[in-house]
Amino acid sequence: MRTTRRVFLIGLAAATLAGCGLSGTNEQGGAVAGEVKGEITFQTWALKPKYTQYVEGVIASFQQEHPGTTVKWIDQPADGYLTKVLADASAGSLPDVINVPPDLSFPLAKAGQLVNLDEAAADAKKDYLDNAWAAYAIPGKAGTYGFPWYLNTGPVFYNKALFQQAGLNPDSPPTTFAELETAALTMAQKTDRKVAMLGQTPAIADFGLYGVEMMNADGTKFTFNSAKGVELVEMYKRMYDAGGLVAEALTQNYTGSGAKFMAQQTALTPGSAYDLGKFKTDAPSLYANIGITKPITNTGKANMFVHGVSVPTSSKNKPTALAFGRFVTNAANQLAFSKVATIFPSSRDGMKDPYFTTEDGSDEARVRVAAAKQLGDSVNYTPVQFSQQMQDSLRQNLADAMLGKKSAKQALDDAVAECDRLLG
Amino acid sequence: MTRWYTPWLFLLPGLAVVVTFSLVPFVNMIVLAFTDATALGGGHFTGLANFQRMLDDPKFWVALRNSTLYLVGVVPPLVVLPLLIALLVRKKLPGITFFRTAFFTPVIASAVVVGLIWTWLLDSQGLVNNVLRALGWVSRPVPFLTDEWLLLVSAMLVTIWKGLGYYMIIYLAALGNVPADLHEAAQVDGAGPVRRFFAVTVPALRPTMVLVAALSAVNGFRVFSEIYLLSGGSGGPGGADTSLVMLIQQTGTGLTGNVGYASALSMVLFVVTLGLLLVTLRLNRREEAL
Repeated sequence: MRTTRRVFLIGLAAATLAGCGLSGTNEQGGAVAGEVKGEITFQTWALKPKYTQYVEGVIASFQQEHPGTTVKWIDQPADGYLTKVLADASAGSLPDVINVPPDLSFPLAKAGQLVNLDEAAADAKKDYLDNAWAAYAIPGKAGTYGFPWYLNTGPVFYNKALFQQAGLNPDSPPTTFAELETAALTMAQKTDRKVAMLGQTPAIADFGLYGVEMMNADGTKFTFNSAKGVELVEMYKRMYDAGGLVAEALTQNYTGSGAKFMAQQTALTPGSAYDLGKFKTDAPSLYANIGITKPITNTGKANMFVHGVSVPTSSKNKPTALAFGRFVTNAANQLAFSKVATIFPSSRDGMKDPYFTTEDGSDEARVRVAAAKQLGDSVNYTPVQFSQQMQDSLRQNLADAMLGKKSAKQALDDAVAECDRLLG
Repeated sequence: MTRWYTPWLFLLPGLAVVVTFSLVPFVNMIVLAFTDATALGGGHFTGLANFQRMLDDPKFWVALRNSTLYLVGVVPPLVVLPLLIALLVRKKLPGITFFRTAFFTPVIASAVVVGLIWTWLLDSQGLVNNVLRALGWVSRPVPFLTDEWLLLVSAMLVTIWKGLGYYMIIYLAALGNVPADLHEAAQVDGAGPVRRFFAVTVPALRPTMVLVAALSAVNGFRVFSEIYLLSGGSGGPGGADTSLVMLIQQTGTGLTGNVGYASALSMVLFVVTLGLLLVTLRLNRREEAL
């Protein structure tokens, strides 16, 4: 009896331990061949209920074009999307087609969890804009790991009333970083620091817009602590000291900064075409004073955000998954999507549509056409390797630089060292 | 005849839940603390490397300092203030139910909502700063949310404000158990209200006070949401207000999370929390012995 009990308890302990510890990584994908049929799952990022009709329409036409296929659609809310992807990836049960932005695709591809499309769908590249296709390439590793789905870029928004209040010409917003600094200093001085120009310290994409090289050629080391990077941080430090940045700039991210602009506590913010609609409904008094201008960049190229779909190597039905991934992101479907959502197609033909080339006199159309024009040579400045931990480190070191706890050079050296360590 | 495993069968449902959701993750954490595992799996045994790294990691020391300061800052007010409030609201006065409810409301409010409300209040252009400026008491906004120390103090105040009602209820229940005849006897002997409070109420409530101290200490040391929300998720300027739990979250989550190091940090958190509870247990035993 005693032995039986011991065996039972040891068994329980063994079972407990068996569930713990280290799990392995998947095999890398290769060329894929096979028939397009059977069931697949497709996971999107917060598209329900606003775009339900659109997505269901795309699924229905795919199933019609490929009889014998069934696409099961799962939409995950934005909150917790990462956690869901992580849990599925750890368990090796990612859906067959999954909506991931480039920065999420990087760790998955690095862990061998995404199919290399250069091998599996070699002829796809020609259908997409070069810069969009390049967004899913992984530096230092061959291949491309996502079909670009939609893009976004945008103008700089500014508050004309606040410009006027500070004695700045509301019809002549800053167009260069030097002009931005001058305007920010004037605004802080004229309003006795009550109105700040900006709501956050520079994000990594701002370094790109300033013309700072982010990484070395093979993507193994960060290089944004160069003289040019230091110059940018020193410029922000001057603005911060004078009151050109809100106090919360030290702690808040893009979302917090956007909220400050909506509350008319800051005068200028970069945004997307989507934001214009948000101002119209959520901040009508701001919308009445909104000024729209070109992105401030030293490189002549604007910043771009990319979303795409990837096929995990764990998919049991890769031929169908790849066919569906291409179908969702083909020119016609992207164009239709762009017309129901404030986004832009990443397909070569999609951008030629008159919807993106002709204005009808409305603010929306003006922003849309300007953004579409600027997308052609926009760059996704945020390196795909730049993880959340790296963003935290950069933000914390920049806060130390603004507070004078570290020099600009020291702060960037520390941030680069930490990012390199995290890169592994 | 009862078979030896009959009790185990009764235990099984509860045991299954505890094993699945507490024991397995706990053992897993201990295993992972000695590896370089990432959120996407993999990882190799690295011995004590994570703990060695911790000793050299300034972020760890800052987080440990902040969590400890938090504990020191919130425990005394959370032991004393709810007791005083409980004494006030147990009096049978007209409309007292309103005050009882008012003190308890922050407890049932979601931590996120509470955090957001206080963020709006304490922001550089928030209500508090605007009032202070309008009164002419300050010329520049008080950096409640952007100064390393003020942010920590602001977060402590939110914790205290939110915890008052909860501990007040515990004290109210305990006060009901203080024998009325002891108070009457003291009164007959000429003891005033203050004397009765220290000579009758406090000794009778001492075990409850130890319990409240233990609960608030453990919660204080594991602080996350208050600092996270007031600092916009950044852990304060330069991360100077990061608590230990925030550091674990920042290190271990996300697709690039370093689960090995986060597990090692969690082990430290566990050991300290366990230590706090053991101290309380000892204090309680001493009380009983007395």
